[in-house]
Amino acid sequence: MSSFRKRHVQKPVPGTRTSPQTGQIITSSGNPSFDVIFGGGLPVGSICLIEEDKYVTFSKVLAKYFIAEGVVSGQSVLLGSLDDDPQELMRKLPKPLNDDEVEIEKSTEQENGEFSQNGLRIAWRYNDLPPVNSEQIPSKIGHHFNLMEHMDKNLLDFVDTLLWNGNSYVNSDEVDDDYDCGLGDEDNVFSAIESNTESKDDTDQNTTSSSSGSNISCKEVDLEQERINAAAALLSGNSNETLRIQNATKLQVDAVQPPIILGQKQNNNCEKIFNNSKYQRFLKLVQSFAKEEKFSSSTLVYRSLCRICITSLGSPLWYDEEFPKNILKFLTVLRGIVRNSVSVCFITMPMHLISKYDESLVPKIRNLVDYAIELESFSGSEHETNNAFKEYNGLIHLHKITAVNTLTAYMPETSDLAFKLRRKKFVIEKLHLPPEMQEDIKENMQTFSCSGGSSASATSMDF
Amino acid sequence: MAASVLFACGLNEQKLPKFVHISEESNCDGSFLFSCILGQRLRISNAGTVLVCLQHNYQHYFHAGMRLGYNVNIFLDKTLNVVDPLTDMAEKGMASKWLQDERQVTTLLLDGIRDYISASAAQRISTTILVDNLAILLNLGATKEEIIQLCHELAELPKQYKNLAVITKLSNCDLYAPIDNCVAKLGTLRIRATQLKSGVSRDVDGKLLIERELAANSVKEAGEELEALQNGGYELEQMRKEVLYKVNDRNIKIINPGELGVKV
Repeated sequence: MSSFRKRHVQKPVPGTRTSPQTGQIITSSGNPSFDVIFGGGLPVGSICLIEEDKYVTFSKVLAKYFIAEGVVSGQSVLLGSLDDDPQELMRKLPKPLNDDEVEIEKSTEQENGEFSQNGLRIAWRYNDLPPVNSEQIPSKIGHHFNLMEHMDKNLLDFVDTLLWNGNSYVNSDEVDDDYDCGLGDEDNVFSAIESNTESKDDTDQNTTSSSSGSNISCKEVDLEQERINAAAALLSGNSNETLRIQNATKLQVDAVQPPIILGQKQNNNCEKIFNNSKYQRFLKLVQSFAKEEKFSSSTLVYRSLCRICITSLGSPLWYDEEFPKNILKFLTVLRGIVRNSVSVCFITMPMHLISKYDESLVPKIRNLVDYAIELESFSGSEHETNNAFKEYNGLIHLHKITAVNTLTAYMPETSDLAFKLRRKKFVIEKLHLPPEMQEDIKENMQTFSCSGGSSASATSMDF
Repeated sequence: MAASVLFACGLNEQKLPKFVHISEESNCDGSFLFSCILGQRLRISNAGTVLVCLQHNYQHYFHAGMRLGYNVNIFLDKTLNVVDPLTDMAEKGMASKWLQDERQVTTLLLDGIRDYISASAAQRISTTILVDNLAILLNLGATKEEIIQLCHELAELPKQYKNLAVITKLSNCDLYAPIDNCVAKLGTLRIRATQLKSGVSRDVDGKLLIERELAANSVKEAGEELEALQNGGYELEQMRKEVLYKVNDRNIKIINPGELGVKV
């Protein structure tokens, strides 16, 4: 018998690539400058925790980027939130830019840079040096987005989305965009979907036992590819593709099996694991969604990436008597689910509130995630008026970077990072202090007064 | 690859101390220690290993092991047995046995370990139980007392089986100080992974504080308790050592404090 064995090469998951630094499969967070922190993108199977800023302005922007990237890459998205309306969030996703727009954007920025360089007052000879851009951008993996405009609604039709707002869920595959189950009771929600599970089980059996089943899975591969192509075509603004896209979607609805929403019947018999039923309901949903065959790491035929986004987890709406116990158990189980499927999870949490509830919860939560990144916004703080930070909207603190499926994690070049929200994009840069100008000092000297006037320099004085 | 860190911790020998406890402070990752120990145990011919994956799933140990130059898959279900509650929870969801009853979590774990040991310990020259990590059991609902009870039961296993060693890990040890101290007292070797007080450094990831009771172990083995008592019970000798570590892509570098060329 020959020892020759055919090598099965797994197709790469759409929207992912292998990291040159760690050799892991990574996917973009949606924001190129944010990806730099992770060494090009988030590793598949990891959980990224964003510790929200006080007014939840910037963390929500990052969550939108994360979801928008999933939509554009043709990946599946699960969005859960108690504080925000997930459907509203989906409607307000930023518009993806095509290559031409990105080029225009870059050239505009360069022009602006040159303009500001002409006004350089420190040393004129630096004018000959090439411009230094402190905004770091990795090699291309994700997309660029324009925060000023919203994403085309048609793009959302090409992706599997599952939205959960605590009481009901909306599944893009089964219903129209504005459909809402409107079921408040836990049992009702799951009994409503149980029929789908049975049909899914039946089709699963077909796939494994009969040849017609295998045809379905092949068809699924082609259709998924077609769907990505269609989304890409729409992105590039080609209107002729629209008809083809519609056909592809229609076919997909016919051929692709509906996703499993609920596990086996025995789940109904299991005891209450969380005192707060919200945790249990949401975990069931996540587990059923991530359990789909296409998210299985062992599947050779076709794999897709599942993006799980939870905004404002641990906000007062999640509170109950046993909040610390529930949140830790929830994150432990979620970690298990994310690690064992081709998925990536993005969570935003109001840590400043959680630390007030229980100080020791913060390190315990950080221990259960792979990346813990805090957004410290200047709005409302004394830094807002500080001249040193006038260019930025806030600072980024890297609390935890874990090595997932490797020995050591990628460490960014610097941990001194700041962010600013421009009109069209969210930018993360290396923090650098502005040069201290001679004239500025003179101006400050002139406005300085011991009487404690209204000048910025005087406000920081204690007396 | 990992020889230097194992040598520094005193875990490079074929015969390990009976109970070893690894503590991990908040914001400090000591997972590399488990990968190093696992590789060392698997390389010993006919040595059994039971790995309890609570912090990471099995895939993590596989990938980390590949970086350190060993393939865990070769040993799986032969000399290596895995208890993987995370995967079970992911597959079965709320129906997973690990989520059904909080009071049974530690019992289930102990039963799982015992099943593997009773089946194979007699055929192996030595067996090592690796539990990574105990803090996850607390998250799953186990109480402080149950964790300590579990560790007591694990510490009893080396008395029942010859050449058996238990290695446990607890993260956030600064928050679970009572459990950490109680568990560490069961063994003769304690390793504490801490962050640098001076902050983050490019050359050093953290510090390992190694505490070892030298004489106590040897006295028990030689059966010379009486002699020790006659000497006023002062046979116990503690060895305390501090080393700095840097986890690289494929190896771990150990640096002595004060070593030249290291910027801390």
